[in-house]
Amino acid sequence: MDPARLLGPAQIDALAQLGVSTILLGGIYALIAVGLTLIFGIMRVVNFAHGEFLMLGMYLAFWSFTLYGLDPYFVLFVSIPLFFLVGLLTYALVMRGVITASHNAQIFTTVGLSTALQNVALVAWTGDFRFVRPWHSSVVLRIAGTAFNLAQVVAFAIAVALTVALFAFMKWTHTGRVMRATAQDRDAATLMGIATDRVYRLTWAIGIACVGAAGVLVAPLYSVYPTAGLQFVLLSYVVVVLGGLGDMVGALLGSLIVAAVEVVGSYFFGTAWKEVLYFVLFIAVLVFRPAGLFGQRGAEMLGA
Amino acid sequence: MRGVLARHWGALVLFGLTALTPLVVKDAFFLDSLVLILIWGALSAAWNLAGGYAGQVSLGHSAFFGIGAYSAALLATRWQQSPWLGMLLGVLVSVAAGAVIGYLSNRLRGPYFALSTIAFSQVLLIVASRWRGFTQGSEGIPVPFRPGFWTLGLGHVAWVYVALGLALVHYGVQVYFERSRVGYQLAGVREDEDAAEALGIASRKLRVFAVTLSAALTSVCGAFWAQYVGFVDPFYVFSVDLSIRFALNTIIGGVGTALGPFLGSILITSLETYLRATFAGVKTGFTGIYLIIYGCVLILVVRFVPEGLAGLAARLRAGVARSRERATDHAHA
Repeated sequence: MDPARLLGPAQIDALAQLGVSTILLGGIYALIAVGLTLIFGIMRVVNFAHGEFLMLGMYLAFWSFTLYGLDPYFVLFVSIPLFFLVGLLTYALVMRGVITASHNAQIFTTVGLSTALQNVALVAWTGDFRFVRPWHSSVVLRIAGTAFNLAQVVAFAIAVALTVALFAFMKWTHTGRVMRATAQDRDAATLMGIATDRVYRLTWAIGIACVGAAGVLVAPLYSVYPTAGLQFVLLSYVVVVLGGLGDMVGALLGSLIVAAVEVVGSYFFGTAWKEVLYFVLFIAVLVFRPAGLFGQRGAEMLGA
Repeated sequence: MRGVLARHWGALVLFGLTALTPLVVKDAFFLDSLVLILIWGALSAAWNLAGGYAGQVSLGHSAFFGIGAYSAALLATRWQQSPWLGMLLGVLVSVAAGAVIGYLSNRLRGPYFALSTIAFSQVLLIVASRWRGFTQGSEGIPVPFRPGFWTLGLGHVAWVYVALGLALVHYGVQVYFERSRVGYQLAGVREDEDAAEALGIASRKLRVFAVTLSAALTSVCGAFWAQYVGFVDPFYVFSVDLSIRFALNTIIGGVGTALGPFLGSILITSLETYLRATFAGVKTGFTGIYLIIYGCVLILVVRFVPEGLAGLAARLRAGVARSRERATDHAHA
């Protein structure tokens, strides 16, 4: 589905195309990362199973489309409450017991969840690569010497909307304030009468709902298979760390930076080595700017 | 001497039985499982040095495993050298890489360190699977079988003793990390770094040392494993699943205990062998079933038995001792 192939390289303005691709790809990464940065920021939990929830969202889109012919944009509205419930369930069964435990206990709990979910998908749906290709996934828009995919534009728009909505929710609603208070100081929040356990449950459920929805939206753009989440999850961490813990707008900017590295890197070095670039970027950011590019406070709680 | 016996009776029983097994059992399948248990145990022991004793949880140790496996396989296939030389090369490369990762561990803790190690192993995976001219890319490298000790072309019985030697060395290094000056210093750093530094312990150097040693020992296992299994697949040797497995064995057996990684390996490797044998013929879809069980076991162990099998045994023993004490107290009263 390479838009360049349809047009021929001569008709495409390389620089403008790189810019457009960066923005659209950044939107997709932001969409995937926004749930992670919420959980990371409020609960201080690194959710290693994040990619598996994304994968489940992709399978939801795949099966709804294949079995019932439902369009992913319709399934999106079903997926949000559905994954909210999945979040409540996994919180009660898995996360609740380790929410006050050490980082290591939390790491291995979410790693265990990741392994289990990945292989449930493998056993249930085999390791085959599957595709969701509704009519709109092959619509190519051409504007001012650039070509891009309609599905990417939609994903980008929804990513921005979601980021703005969550930002507003955290900033101006009572629940959002309660969540931020819990993130800043759990003990003080408890003393102020905040039921922190409920805050964590809500945060987890919202985060999972976001990533589930992201999975549904990206399904038409990528192939669906049990370990599909792995390629995105490390990248989401780059985004989250770059943007600063729990910083929604930072995550959006971080996504654009990662996308720029990937797009420009692929242009110059070829797509085969682009992952190396962002893993190196990742390690560099962790080492040199562990609090994020914008110096978010709170990183020290993770011992960085 | 009595103290040594009392402290290491578990290891004596375990390794003693292993040494005697090939004299009695000739079944190739059983001996093969035994070799794998020992190699997995030794790998988990190596992970334990960083993850347990130094408190630096790595989820990218497969990087060092892969470095060892690739060094041995490449030297054997490209330059017809002995896997022992490959092992040495692997150790050198791993020491360099381990020192870098160890240095990172001074800047990054907990989840950040775990993430950076995953990224590191993924970089190596991409290099190994894409650099076709040198590593044969994603096809992997078949390692030739050449009979002899120098080329490590051995029978099952000999392999049991090679793996046993490996396991003993790794057990010994762990005991060193428990009972030596370095070990006590590491424990101090792990429990309270500021206090340890105030006492003049060079915590940063110690951590680099622990992670580097852990990397070197992991790569030794990788070299043996490549020669034993006879095939190096980049997507296996550098996988995150493999790194998780080292941690899984150790956590189930008991983090920061010398016997724990081996206990975990016995349990997990036997379980895998059993499930593979049971489900292999049924349906291809069942290949992941033991990994589902791993995942659930990991969640449950972390939640309910965080001290692992070794810790559980100690707790039970303490419980028995306490009730015995109480009984004698009653008798005296």
